[in-house]
Amino acid sequence: MMRNSLDKKVQAYVDGLFSGVGESQQLFDLKEELATNLKEKIADYKKDGMDESAAFKEAVSSMGDLSGLVDDMREVGQNKAKQAVYSSMTERIAVAGLITGILLILFGVLTTAMLFFMGLQLEAVTGTAIFVVFGVAIIVYSALTRETSKKYAMNKVRAILYAVAVGLVAFSLFVAFTTGFATGEMYIAISSFMIFFIIGLGLWLGLIFTGTDRRKMVA
Amino acid sequence: MENKISTDLIRGHTDTIILNVLRQGDSYGYQIYKTIIELSKNQYELKEATLYTAFRRLEKEGSIASYWGDETQGGRRKYYRITEDGSARYEQYKKEWKFAKEILNYLIEGGIENDEK
Repeated sequence: MMRNSLDKKVQAYVDGLFSGVGESQQLFDLKEELATNLKEKIADYKKDGMDESAAFKEAVSSMGDLSGLVDDMREVGQNKAKQAVYSSMTERIAVAGLITGILLILFGVLTTAMLFFMGLQLEAVTGTAIFVVFGVAIIVYSALTRETSKKYAMNKVRAILYAVAVGLVAFSLFVAFTTGFATGEMYIAISSFMIFFIIGLGLWLGLIFTGTDRRKMVA
Repeated sequence: MENKISTDLIRGHTDTIILNVLRQGDSYGYQIYKTIIELSKNQYELKEATLYTAFRRLEKEGSIASYWGDETQGGRRKYYRITEDGSARYEQYKKEWKFAKEILNYLIEGGIENDEK
């Protein structure tokens, strides 16, 4: 699962193809598409008995003349207006999500504080903190699908998985406090915490180790 | 490949060939590339550079649509599927091809009958 040297070589080749081309979401997507297919082609050549460097050379040289595609992407990169149209809708959704998430967290924190100072039993106080859990998950999703000046948007499925992972970790804390206060038993708190935390963390780690670099290069 | 199809001859049919692959199921770049080689019985290779340019053109005109696969290892695949517009275009292209094939055959292989002399 680790990025090996061949992955890096392919990435460097694809980056080199489009060097000096203005960055855009479309270029970012195209590079990922090319890299994935190229890696698969190299793997096939290796299966046929070629060594890695021969397979790489053959795969690259058999691609054909990519200059038309490079010109096409250069045009997209120069046309800022087109890009703005491309990202404005997702951008608005992401911003709305961020605001919703922040407000949910605030609501959760404030109602929990309110109940606490009303002098209720602790187990009744923690219930409203569930809003914080949802708020956190929504913020994670929105932040990842938002294209910024430094990073490209993550694809939606991945972003949802991330939100679920972080949400599960947050939920595990929520469950720990709720059951802990309700029963007054530490071992129950830990056991119920453990299930959600481990699933959430596992998903999270899986995503981290399979991620692609979304950082934009400084032109 | 002893006899090569000239690029000129096939260029006008790139879109039809890709649509023919996609009308039989969603697919991604490298798989489409391999399918085309197979369909030609190993007689023709459509270069990847030509393929990716065609994908962009076909997507822009609405004949195909794309979505990302959820592979986690080795990078995500970008899949393409044919749209209704694309299927209609494919049928139209096929009709045109059948007609052209017949006429070209007359023109290239046909003998001239000299009745008047």
